[in-house]
Amino acid sequence: MGIRSAREKWVLRVAMVPMAVLALSCVYPVIFTINNALKTKKGYILNRFGLVDAPSLQNFYDAWGRAHLSDYLFNSVVVTAGAVLLLLLTSSLAGFALAMLRFPMRKVLFIVILASLMIPVQVVLVPFYRTMLALDLVNTRIGLIIAYTAFFLPFCVYMMTAFYARLPRELVEAARMDGATLLQIWWNVMLPMGRPALLTLGILNTLYCWNDVLISLLVLQKERTVMVGIAALRGEYTTDVPLLCAGIALASAPIIAIYVFFQRQIVDGIAVGAVKG
Amino acid sequence: MPQIVLENLCKTFGGVEVLRNVSLSIEKGAFTVFVGPSGCGKSTLLRCIAGLEEITSGNLLLGGHRMNEVDPAARGLAMVFQSYALYPHMTVAENMSFGLRMAHRPKAEIDEKVAKAARILQLEPLLARKPAALSGGQRQRVAIGRAIVRDPQVFLFDEPLSNLDAELRVQTRVEIAKLHQTLGNTIIYVTHDQTEAMTLADQIVVLRAGKVEQIGAPMDLYNDPDNAFVAGFIGSPRMNFLNVEVAGGQVLGVPVSLPEGPVQLGIRPEHLDQSAGIRLPVVVEVVEKLGATSYIHARLESGETVVAESRETLARPGAKLDLHFDIARARFFDMAGQRLR
Repeated sequence: MGIRSAREKWVLRVAMVPMAVLALSCVYPVIFTINNALKTKKGYILNRFGLVDAPSLQNFYDAWGRAHLSDYLFNSVVVTAGAVLLLLLTSSLAGFALAMLRFPMRKVLFIVILASLMIPVQVVLVPFYRTMLALDLVNTRIGLIIAYTAFFLPFCVYMMTAFYARLPRELVEAARMDGATLLQIWWNVMLPMGRPALLTLGILNTLYCWNDVLISLLVLQKERTVMVGIAALRGEYTTDVPLLCAGIALASAPIIAIYVFFQRQIVDGIAVGAVKG
Repeated sequence: MPQIVLENLCKTFGGVEVLRNVSLSIEKGAFTVFVGPSGCGKSTLLRCIAGLEEITSGNLLLGGHRMNEVDPAARGLAMVFQSYALYPHMTVAENMSFGLRMAHRPKAEIDEKVAKAARILQLEPLLARKPAALSGGQRQRVAIGRAIVRDPQVFLFDEPLSNLDAELRVQTRVEIAKLHQTLGNTIIYVTHDQTEAMTLADQIVVLRAGKVEQIGAPMDLYNDPDNAFVAGFIGSPRMNFLNVEVAGGQVLGVPVSLPEGPVQLGIRPEHLDQSAGIRLPVVVEVVEKLGATSYIHARLESGETVVAESRETLARPGAKLDLHFDIARARFFDMAGQRLR
């Protein structure tokens, strides 16, 4: 941007006020959670909004052990990693086929996949649950992995198709001339070239799977994922807020770390397919 | 026996006929150039030979065997693409060895062939680099290297110089000619640039709207074109065409053995000079001075424009000038563009 006039600077300063309020509204819950997680129950009741005076990690120990967050975290890690891996593999294969190969009904298939993006999860919950029951997949981690893959796949396929469609078809043709089979072309050429989109999808889907409560609550009813476990920390009449805050902090830590490390890819990924699809 | 034979080859895309009854044969070791204007089907023809496009009808024979349905990799061909199509995540060495790795060749053989191709193309210092770190000319050489290591019977080049700047294009053109002399493989080369076609080819195939207009050696096409399209397309600047009348067995006062009536007279710019022969009074419009030679763009009384090549000219825009030509240098075409002999 070039040199701004005094009027433009003034407009920018005015625009900064709502932006700052918005930023504060995002940061405040994080500060509130960490601050209260370090308080005792009594300390919280006496001073809910004040800064902690005698920080203690006891709530973190209690949440990790007594509230079984360690088990729930393990479930979340397994399910998230499994679902993300499956999503990346299938969406990359589908994106390659839809963007680079020519076969009958290709466009119809792509439109059907796109259309399934429009259906809210809540609309299909009952048939989904009945299907999971019929397949004996309720209360299994593999069931939840399949469920996440099914729900998030249309978006991933759309994104990978848009990404691969931007690559020159000549790369595939060159590989065919070099004697590579379709699977070899996907593995040796398309998969490595799809790395930026796959990285973005990996991060976004990790966020979605990790933060999900609804699908997880339906499929893993006995063994919980960490977000369902956190929800269970809330009592019917009373809630140990510092313990809940410690649980939330523990559950969010991995996802915040991922966000901090991969900020750029997340933002870039949102724009994938925006220019040419 | 010719190495490559095309028999009545046709290609349609959703009802649109892109190639119409293309028949030709290519001898082993020949450098054949497909040339024609944009959209004439030359790249499609190359892709049909490569196996990247299905042949709608007709036959493709390689070494006497019908290859219409054979997989591209099994045809014994290697292709250099217009955009080079280098794998950006692989190094130069990995790009060049990709085909051999896919064929599960022993590592020692792969290393030896890559080293040999790199030596021929002077790519040795670049083997560890990725394509993004190479110049356009270097990428072009890597693409050729990738073709060489497969030791194909036939090289296919699809407008390989079109992404290079003018200077590099001339340099690479010479390198490709040298490479053909060194390796001796059959080459089929697609271009829309008639200069490339003239300088590289043993045999030129001129295409227009999916049909072969003429096949022949460069100078045969230049001196003895079958029709006005070939006469106009081959040669730069293009041949001048004048509408004349054959009356009483004479054209422009010179006896000819042509049917009576209107005909097109074609004369090349270098055969229009200011010395002797049939006189054409013109008014000079533009003089292009290229150093060694000049092109005089002029207008006849009839309103037709002509270009004359002159080594030394004092002509100035607006000046009246008499151009002359020898009738023996002229080529005659009927009004449909077919050659009258």
